[in-house]
Amino acid sequence: MIRYTLKRLVQSLMTLVIVITIVFLLMRLMPEDGYFGDSYEKLDEVQKEAILEDMGLRDPIHIQLLNFYKQTLKGDLGKSIIYRPKVDISTILKSKIPYSLNFGLAAMFISLGIGIPLGIMMALNKGCFLDKIGTVYIVLINAIPSAIYYLFIQIYLTGSFNLPILFSVDRPLSFILPTISMSLGGIASYAMWMRRYMVDKINKDYVKLARAKGMKNRKVMISHVLRNAFVPMSQYLPSAILFTIAGSIYIESLYSIPGMGGLLVDAIQRQDNTLVQALVLIYSSIGIFGLFIGDISMALLDPRITLSKKAGGK
Amino acid sequence: MERKEKILEVKDLVVKFRLRGEILTAIRKASLDVYKGESLAIVGESGSGKSVFTKSFMGLLDKNGFIDGGKIKYMEKDLSTYKKEKDWIKIRGKEIAMVFQEPMTSLNPLKTVGKQIKETIELHRDIRGKSSKEEAIKILEDVGISKASMRYDSYPHEFSGGMRQRVVIAIAIACNPKILICDEPTTALDVTIQAQILNLLKRLKKKYNLTTIYITHDLGVVANVADRVAVMYAGDIVEIGKAEEVFYNPKHPYTWALLSSLPQLGKKGEALYSIEGTPPNLFEEIKGDAFAPRNPRALNIDFVKKPPYFSISPTHKAKTWLLDPKAPLVEPPEGIKNLNKYFGGKRDE
Repeated sequence: MIRYTLKRLVQSLMTLVIVITIVFLLMRLMPEDGYFGDSYEKLDEVQKEAILEDMGLRDPIHIQLLNFYKQTLKGDLGKSIIYRPKVDISTILKSKIPYSLNFGLAAMFISLGIGIPLGIMMALNKGCFLDKIGTVYIVLINAIPSAIYYLFIQIYLTGSFNLPILFSVDRPLSFILPTISMSLGGIASYAMWMRRYMVDKINKDYVKLARAKGMKNRKVMISHVLRNAFVPMSQYLPSAILFTIAGSIYIESLYSIPGMGGLLVDAIQRQDNTLVQALVLIYSSIGIFGLFIGDISMALLDPRITLSKKAGGK
Repeated sequence: MERKEKILEVKDLVVKFRLRGEILTAIRKASLDVYKGESLAIVGESGSGKSVFTKSFMGLLDKNGFIDGGKIKYMEKDLSTYKKEKDWIKIRGKEIAMVFQEPMTSLNPLKTVGKQIKETIELHRDIRGKSSKEEAIKILEDVGISKASMRYDSYPHEFSGGMRQRVVIAIAIACNPKILICDEPTTALDVTIQAQILNLLKRLKKKYNLTTIYITHDLGVVANVADRVAVMYAGDIVEIGKAEEVFYNPKHPYTWALLSSLPQLGKKGEALYSIEGTPPNLFEEIKGDAFAPRNPRALNIDFVKKPPYFSISPTHKAKTWLLDPKAPLVEPPEGIKNLNKYFGGKRDE
């Protein structure tokens, strides 16, 4: 187990290095306008060159890359250029993260709290009314582009329930709609996966054997079906949860929530190169970390998993 | 065989399944007496209903299956009337236990083998914790797992197929059932392991005083373990008798066909015998002898009227019109007349 964790950790770190490199290289392809900020129009070519040189952007590419590694390793994400000129990106993020985190956690609890039990109930009563209703819900949520139902919720629910249309910190009512919108997709996918994995396990031979032993159906469901269905779930849950917490790009801009997700859209639109670079880095690290945690928790739950080649067994 | 006490008495059992709005009749008025302490084999081709038949003794039919008549009498109780789980869990594992055919998938991969045995013990016996663990280790030793106390904490994937089947057997006998149903216990195993598992089952039968019912299509297994043989075709038992009687003096044309297809009887250079045609469509009502359409020696009456049992000896009976006093004399096929050549030796073990 420890060996597995270490190996997986090394793999994740290697992936991270590759991601950092790719992000860096991609950013070099962006137009250089993004490094000058508002003073862009007033500068002549010589001044621009001087600024770029000052930022180290005229160094040979491998030196730049090395500097970028060093900087990132120290936890220094650089300074914003346009969004809030000359302000440390980590300072900007510090003011943004609480919003995303609050909404994210709320949405996470709602979607786990409703989605997982819903999936379990659907699997236990396969083919019954609840299962059918749930399936319709899952299909609808997956088939309709989220942008559309987010908009519908914003437009119609604010009207009919007299809820605020935009977020503001001192109006608790304005928390409701964004949280609901963020939860809908989560509920659907948690329920879908939970149901699917459970139905998968219900037909296994060991479930039949457990029944033949004289075990009560309820107990079979809990100790053989549910427990085993959580193995594939445990791989997928951490990244899903992390991404919910990290904030929804679309919902944050829709309700003007000053969180991380909205920030990325802003930064891209305003060509703040260093800020985009930092945000992409953060999001991809979250992804890699999520997968890492997922794999580790799956290995904790399933004794068959080892990373070695000789491992047998189906 | 001296008359023994009946432990299980199945009478005119009908089992049906609902499938896409249609009704399939899997078991058609099958009757079977099982005597205490005997070893009975039910043979038949795939789809003959042998698994469904025995599953109905434990209430393990699939959700769309139901009993539509007949009785399953076990210790003064009629199991065919059991509907609630509460009743069945008193039977399953404790009175009647089952060994399934797929050892590779019959164990939960996430639980140690020890735990899975312990779990069974705690379902039916009033022991918990340390003493049930000790009991589980004892049973593991009993089924021939060496270093059982170490192996207790192993996971199924660390075991070979044969060892897993031993664990499945350990689970089955953990609560001292009276009847052990072995559903093709050796089909998924290779030949050397097969013999070991069969010997183990025979040993456990003696030790725990079990009544065993084997379901198999491997006549070699039957010859090895069974006192009595029941031949099943299209959801009915067409011939039943002591193993010697069914092997050396078979009466039903289906039994003839089944025995003729033994690979041991094939001659070098010739194709092996196989039964023509396919089993009857179970969605339709079967008229007369179900085997008649595939039977080259079928009589006219076979297509019209279902034959009753005719007794050949007190222990041997078959459902075929050939045994009617008015029937013409039909000889069994040549090949199966000297079967003792193949099984004679084995039976004395």
